[in-house]
Amino acid sequence: MTRAAAAAAADAADATAAPDTRAAVSVRALRRTFRTTGRGSGLFTGRLRGRRRDEDTGERVALRGIDLDIAPGEVHGLLGPNGAGKTTLCKILSTVLLPSSGTVHLLGHDVAARPAAVRPLIGIVFGGERGLYERLTARQNLLYWACLYGMSGRRLAERSEELLEQLGLGAHADERVERFSRGMKQRLHLARGLVHDPPVVLLDEPTAGMDPVSAHGFRDLVRALRAEGRTVLVTTHDMAEAEAVCDRVTLIDRGAVVASATPAELGAWAAESERVTARDVPPGVLTQLSALPHVTAVPPDAQGRTVLRVGEGGDAAAVVRLLLDAGVRELATSRPGLEEVYLRLIGRRGMEVAR
Amino acid sequence: MRPPGAPRAVRDARAAAAAFRVQLLLVRRSVGDLRVLFTVPLYALIFLAIAAVSGDRSLTAYAVLAPGLIALWSMMLFAAGDLITQDRSAGRLEAVVAAPVPLFTVVAARLAAVAAVSLISLAEAWAVARWVFGLRVPLVHPMAFGVGLLATAFAMTGTATAMACAFVLSRSARIFQNSLSYPVYLLGGVLMPVSALPGWLRPASRLVFLTWSGGLLRDSLATPAVADLPGRLLALTALGLAGFAAGGWLMRRILTRVRAAGTLGLA
Ligand SMILES: Nc1ncnc2c1ncn2[C@@H]1O[C@H](COP(=O)(O)OP(=O)(O)OP(=O)(O)O)[C@@H](O)[C@H]1O
Ligand SMILES: [Mg+2]
Repeated sequence: MTRAAAAAAADAADATAAPDTRAAVSVRALRRTFRTTGRGSGLFTGRLRGRRRDEDTGERVALRGIDLDIAPGEVHGLLGPNGAGKTTLCKILSTVLLPSSGTVHLLGHDVAARPAAVRPLIGIVFGGERGLYERLTARQNLLYWACLYGMSGRRLAERSEELLEQLGLGAHADERVERFSRGMKQRLHLARGLVHDPPVVLLDEPTAGMDPVSAHGFRDLVRALRAEGRTVLVTTHDMAEAEAVCDRVTLIDRGAVVASATPAELGAWAAESERVTARDVPPGVLTQLSALPHVTAVPPDAQGRTVLRVGEGGDAAAVVRLLLDAGVRELATSRPGLEEVYLRLIGRRGMEVAR
Repeated sequence: MRPPGAPRAVRDARAAAAAFRVQLLLVRRSVGDLRVLFTVPLYALIFLAIAAVSGDRSLTAYAVLAPGLIALWSMMLFAAGDLITQDRSAGRLEAVVAAPVPLFTVVAARLAAVAAVSLISLAEAWAVARWVFGLRVPLVHPMAFGVGLLATAFAMTGTATAMACAFVLSRSARIFQNSLSYPVYLLGGVLMPVSALPGWLRPASRLVFLTWSGGLLRDSLATPAVADLPGRLLALTALGLAGFAAGGWLMRRILTRVRAAGTLGLA
């Protein structure tokens, strides 16, 4: 059997897994590949750069068999490094990109087969400065996009005013978008995605470009969306944000799901421990601490900072007491958060983008 | 939460009206889109001067209409090419496609707005004849002229929509724009009568809406009764409908193709 045939057979086997009909979003065995043929591979460049041929003319796999269910009313976070496939998944959900194989159902509709049924049900916010009519005002933009979703009359007028106010654009509603700052454009994108009152909202890096205060305002906005019963899928690189607003998060890397759970579960899973960080711990005390049950000590770093993990059944208070008795004054205890999970699962890859 | 529930036809009609209005706003705010209108008086001066020198009064109607028709078509050509290209490069195309209203409807409505604006060029050419050359070009058959304009706008929008839909696939709309201007003026009998074309080319000119528009509009400026008004209107309507049908068909196929290839958003 050729590789392609084997992959197809595997897909067919996976595709038998039925979608969850109660879920707002149900993704099964979703694969998406892109052809990279031709692009940037001139007549000679391939050889000159010494690349293998299949790298130049092959397929890039953006999603390799994703399974994911999002319950109605859930705020679901999608985390992962650059190039992991988050935007690709969002685009498939929003019907502008077709799956290579596998299925995606949104509120019971197959997004590939029935895009017309799916489109009115989702609000999309693809982050960034682009995507608006720069020469129109914020209000004109918003009204126009709303019309493309079939809004009209009183309801349209009320809803757009409400959103402009809610997103803090009221005073700038009649200014042309070309004069907007990045964060202001991002807010208008949010208004645009919500104007038609969609039951499912896709937010791809919605806080990119927002100042910290606005980003906190965004958390309130997402909580409001949840209170209204909407299902939200949000991608972000901000772990604190994900932890603050998401009911569940899914970590994806290189097109595959690495983990999917509540932020708390993931945090517990990462360490099942408490963490005590201390500075300038005398070596003797460190040995003493390591001898305590369920305590592991990471050797001090260049700044003299020591991390002590206190596993389940361990006594963090005893650790702190010992440190204080030894005269250590700089110390802190914490529970490992999503950031730690992310770093442990995805690894410290530095700036490298997976191919 | 209640997703809007108006019937699809009502929803699309409203969206089309909104797209029409937005395009008028966009055109008004862009000198670039209106640049064609600035060249109309210049062309009108040239054509009218040639007509004046020739001393042939029958050429006046030609000279008045030619700059207007040229402006009509070149405005439409550029709009058809730029509409999709600009939405794509500004990152809007995917969002428009993701909206429930079909992209085809949006494109057709926006091009209809451009067609409406482009009709100003005919008035401009008329004004140059009147105020610069002191030529009165009376509207002998105003009704025929009026419906002729409407039918022209319809045919032009249909033709441009078919082209714009093709441009969803192509990322080199400029080449088409440039190669479709003068050949169409010649085939459409804008610059010289179709009867002056070589015989084998004449059938092709019947497929160009400008042939029918130009003939009808010129006739409605002259004293004899307008010949075969219904037939010409029918031809314009048919060409417009053919354009819309081709555009709709192309759009469906091309959208499926670019959604599969993942090239919809690539600028
Ligand atoms: N239209 C396309 N054509 C070719 N390759 C693509 C296309 N879109 C995405 N890819 C590739 O698919 C992979 C996943 O990209 P995607 O944009 O989904 O990542 P992401 O998780 O959103 O990353 P980021 O955090 O940087 O936004 C990448 O390798 C990317 O190069
Ligand atoms: Mg992305």
